Amino acid sequence: MNSSDKVLIIGAGIAGMEASLMLAKGGKKVVLVEKLPIIGGNVIKNEESYPNLECSTCMVAPIQQDVLQNENIEVLTLSEVEKVEGKAGEYSVRINKRARYVSLTDCIGCGACYEPCPVTLKNEWEENLADKKAIYVPCEGSLPNVPAIDPDSCLQISGKKSCNACAEACMFGAINYTEKDEKIEVNVGAIIVASGFELFDVKKLSNIGYGKLSNVYTAMEFERLYASNGPTSGELILRKGKKSPDSVAIIHCIGRNELGYCSGVCCMYSFKYAHFIKDKLPNTKIYNIYSDICVPNKNYQKFYNKIKDSLSTFIVQSSPEKIKISGNNGKLNINLSNNKDSKKSLNVDMVILSCAMIPSKNSEVLGNTLGLELDNKGFFQIRKDDLGTLQTSIDGIFTIGCAEGPKDIQDSVIQAESAVGEVVSLLG
Amino acid sequence: MSSKIGVYICECGPNIADNIDIDEVIEKISSSEQYKNQQLIIKRYKLLCSNEGKEFLEKEINDNELTHLVIAACSPRDHDTTFINICKKTKLNPYLYKMVNIREQCAWIIPDKQKATEKAINYIKSAINRVLHQSKLIEKSLDSNPNVLVIGGGITGMETALSLASDKRKVYIIERDSQLGGNVRFFKALLPQQKTNTDLIEKKIAAVNKHDNIEIFTESILEKSVGFFGNFEVTIRNVNDDQKGNELVVGAIVVATGFSLMPIDKLKKFNYSNKDNVFSALEIENMIKEKGKILLTSGKVPKSVGLIHCVGREERGYCSRICCNYMLKIIGYLLEQSGDIKIKDFYKDLCLPHKNDQEFLDEIKKKKADFIRYTDISIKGNHITYKDIKGTKKESDVEMIILAPAMVPAKGTEELAEQLNIPLHETEFFQEAHHQLNPVGTSIEGIYIAGGCHGPKGISDSMFQAKAVSGKIVTQLIPGKKLVPEVKVSEILPEFCMGCKTCMDVCCYGSITYDHDKGICVVNEAICRGCGNCVGSCPSGAIRAKHFTTGQIYQEVKEAIIGSVKSFMKK
Repeated sequence: MNSSDKVLIIGAGIAGMEASLMLAKGGKKVVLVEKLPIIGGNVIKNEESYPNLECSTCMVAPIQQDVLQNENIEVLTLSEVEKVEGKAGEYSVRINKRARYVSLTDCIGCGACYEPCPVTLKNEWEENLADKKAIYVPCEGSLPNVPAIDPDSCLQISGKKSCNACAEACMFGAINYTEKDEKIEVNVGAIIVASGFELFDVKKLSNIGYGKLSNVYTAMEFERLYASNGPTSGELILRKGKKSPDSVAIIHCIGRNELGYCSGVCCMYSFKYAHFIKDKLPNTKIYNIYSDICVPNKNYQKFYNKIKDSLSTFIVQSSPEKIKISGNNGKLNINLSNNKDSKKSLNVDMVILSCAMIPSKNSEVLGNTLGLELDNKGFFQIRKDDLGTLQTSIDGIFTIGCAEGPKDIQDSVIQAESAVGEVVSLLG
Repeated sequence: MSSKIGVYICECGPNIADNIDIDEVIEKISSSEQYKNQQLIIKRYKLLCSNEGKEFLEKEINDNELTHLVIAACSPRDHDTTFINICKKTKLNPYLYKMVNIREQCAWIIPDKQKATEKAINYIKSAINRVLHQSKLIEKSLDSNPNVLVIGGGITGMETALSLASDKRKVYIIERDSQLGGNVRFFKALLPQQKTNTDLIEKKIAAVNKHDNIEIFTESILEKSVGFFGNFEVTIRNVNDDQKGNELVVGAIVVATGFSLMPIDKLKKFNYSNKDNVFSALEIENMIKEKGKILLTSGKVPKSVGLIHCVGREERGYCSRICCNYMLKIIGYLLEQSGDIKIKDFYKDLCLPHKNDQEFLDEIKKKKADFIRYTDISIKGNHITYKDIKGTKKESDVEMIILAPAMVPAKGTEELAEQLNIPLHETEFFQEAHHQLNPVGTSIEGIYIAGGCHGPKGISDSMFQAKAVSGKIVTQLIPGKKLVPEVKVSEILPEFCMGCKTCMDVCCYGSITYDHDKGICVVNEAICRGCGNCVGSCPSGAIRAKHFTTGQIYQEVKEAIIGSVKSFMKK
């Protein structure tokens, strides 16, 4: 096979999966590299997605299955690109594929291995709201439905102690403690970077008390708290007090001032949370504390109107960085100092921080590996003088979705499809 | 030929075997009276989805010359495709196979092994009954025409055409206006931040005109379109001459008809007249391009300007996404042309959803412009009355007012939607096939939407959509490659159809037509997607969804009910 018939896609989130499936349909071979043991990206963390509140799993699971079963797509999980050489049409790429220690072909995903594992760890994928074992899948419904072993914590692999509890429990002989990391070399004609986003680290802000005040949640924590396959099976139980909240404040634009940009999605997901809470706890009082409402799609204002008219009180605070949150007799006191609106302060049981989107952690390393330029915010830079292209400073390397900048699912999918158009024009 | 049914039960390691007595299942089914006239092969296997399992199954189908296949295993979500692919390797038609889930739905959820076993027997019998009533379906392939019709010669349409046209694919652009370029023709500089080259549109027009494989029809509109993905027959007509027209055959149609600004003369709060020095943003863009300056009707440079955002937003029911940004651009011009100008920017919420927008705002804010958040606003001449965020009524006089009216679909959008049989969104823009997953597709395969006609957006987003459409077309409508339409489609039984046309109203894909000669409705199988809407709507019961017929479902359900009644009676 000619290398120009093959495309490397980095990141198996919604943008990377969509681009893979389209290219595969068009007869290209795709190597899809994902650093996590599962594919699906951030979208699968959402119970439902706005504006239609469609079940995200139901929406994405068929796509994940299609990607895993497509003969033209080679999915490399637990993998990262290490080295790239060459030019458009003929890149040679080295990928480091970390050992999973569980065979993707032999394991059937029955889950019999988890319970016997003696090591319990915090589950980062669940925003540390749940535990996992050293042999784990991040959450129920993960795809591929095959666990991975964390080599640093597994007693056997790390050499701390002899243990073969999971191997004994496995009826299919799918576990192999001696599996080694692998270097994989591929030749491709083009590369699409779809490495996604994470949320602004709220620990950087001292005024909002995250980390000290238990009932202050980040958006992603709330997403998992609400999820039916999440740590509480979707029950809204507070970390402190172990009860449901009677009042919730959703604070928009967290990190916007510090980062210097609006993420364009937080208003809508904040409204989604208001809807979620009212749906489960109809008597709970909800406040949306915002600076500017940003609902930039023909489908969004209707949802905003519904929330504004009947589900939540809206309070303007033009400078969210001036908000102070402190503990107050088991409640959270939000001081809206310098607020032009009449309200000066309010007490609530729960605070949800609608955080800005930032580039995913390894963007800089990945940028260096590929030789790509990052913009002043850390996202990958597309060509400035050439409007409408998703090509980066290097010919044949494209960037899509939130790796290029904050955006919602619709715009990520549009960029994925757009890059496919460009890749096919380039490679023929 | 008599049927030969293969039933294969997967042990799924201990997952099924531990909680279902598979031997009993085999015994009960093979000794069942109801199958005594059938040839039934029933076997267990340790793991059917393993490589050995797949080979075993393929061999079984071939060696036994099976006519029907039932797999009792895990969830079809996990392995339906696996088994369909095995069938495809053999002579067995995959539509004569049925998978039944005895793991999640029996073994894993019923603690009592006997009960789980009984339920599994029931399920498998239902599946056997169903599969015996399933029919062979054969995938067809159709020749396709790779050429594309682009409706609208603005930036989106031209970008689509340029990225698609090649030696193997011709693109036709039809444009209502006498020249190409659309709204962007009136812009001097483009967002973001006024820095982008201003000759973009001229370059695109030149490239389109020069391209050997792009044919342009100006002053033309679509008159008629019939057909389906890969084969649309379209008629285009000259807007000035009814007799002048062309007929073309294309494989795909791209709608890129753009936007216009909401006519605000009907909004009482905005008395809109240029002689009062009130202008819409688009008029200002035009003025800058023509005169190089923003000037009062008297020809003088304005000393004070009020800019009002969100005009018509409440009435239209959506935010137009780019107005805040272009208002900032206009403020930038005003500040550039005179240093001592007084600028008041009246906004509700600043919507700046792109990563570079905020920097632009901060830059403008550093200079001298007043940003005033309003809750209500009206104008009379160039006198502005507004309520601030606290509800206090205030007034302001300025020499010039610039309005940012909502973006609305271009003229003719409704007629075009009707001609193409694609739906409009409640905002009157075109409706995408799926908000997240298919944002440039429509309900009809092979018809796409891009740019301002899809919803308010800026130039780069429109161009991304143009290329997204081209991405769809180049991967799905490949020159020289045949198309395989859906096989699980609806069919109308002519002897039962009364010709009432109810089905035509519920079909989202426009796949049903009325045959005037025979007085009945007919499904075009190339367009039908097998959604089943028509089946449910038909008052005469004349429509069947292939592979999902009433008969098939009845057989499946009947057996399940008989089985459960029997186990109930035993108790």
